[in-house]
Amino acid sequence: MKIQTSILLALGLAAVPAYAQKQPTDAQIAAIVVVANQVDIDAGTLVAAKSADPEVQKFAHTMVTDHTAVNQSATDLVTKLQVTPEANETSRALKDGGDKNLENLRTLSGTALDKAYVDHEVAYHEQVIQALDDVLIPNAQNAELKALLVKVRPIFVEHLNHAKHLQSRFN
Amino acid sequence: MPNTSNPASTRESGKAGPITAVGFAVLLAATALAALIGRADPVAGPRVHVVVIENMRYSPSILDVPLGDRVVFKNHDLVPHTATSKGAEPFDSGPLLSGQEWGFTPARPGTLRYNCSFHPTMEGSLVVGEPHKLAAP
Repeated sequence: MKIQTSILLALGLAAVPAYAQKQPTDAQIAAIVVVANQVDIDAGTLVAAKSADPEVQKFAHTMVTDHTAVNQSATDLVTKLQVTPEANETSRALKDGGDKNLENLRTLSGTALDKAYVDHEVAYHEQVIQALDDVLIPNAQNAELKALLVKVRPIFVEHLNHAKHLQSRFN
Repeated sequence: MPNTSNPASTRESGKAGPITAVGFAVLLAATALAALIGRADPVAGPRVHVVVIENMRYSPSILDVPLGDRVVFKNHDLVPHTATSKGAEPFDSGPLLSGQEWGFTPARPGTLRYNCSFHPTMEGSLVVGEPHKLAAP
């Protein structure tokens, strides 16, 4: 309960399913990783096409490129390990959160769009780093999966610092 | 049956001795030559310096490069990076995908600051100094 709850809280998702009472398996971690990357790819794709701010556009392009690369590595690894990502309450909640973020971004334009996107990117990367540290890395059983999670962490940290730099322009 | 070929015993025959000795001598000579070349190389000619890009950092982040030496950037990260300088001696690796590398030879002394055009928090410097001195005759 504690571990699944911390994932959800870390990702800003208050509703904790009643059955979430065990640690995530490698298959569940794989699904969480893939969805976490995909929601940021989707947001970046939308904003790269819609924003008029060159710096925000460039950041959004980088998010699409980097999270696509991470997802490719994750997909390659689970294929090699013959692990099938297993959708779970956390991955589904992440997907719902990503969809809501997209809905919100679609209604915005100009500076409001840029600010909403960058604010969300700061929060999202902070939460994913916390989830990596508190839940995903400690619970990964396969050494290669754990190593991949450790390897992607600095990517999220750099993205967070980049997003914070952009955020300072709007505040 | 006694004449049945036995490769193992043939290899152990006395005729194999001189061939092994010659081979050993060649190996010794080659090793000595390689040692001579290796000893002369650090002072006689340009060298290659490697900057590894890993964990969203350049390593080493500050690198001393004697003029005439080559610098090679190797991307060990999962995501693309660049090594891009907009200073007095501009250079740009362009996108380096995971596993790719790119190199260049600085043309003049000075400090070349560079960063990753995708990840602006990543920074590094090349400190280009005096060239290697040739070995004394």
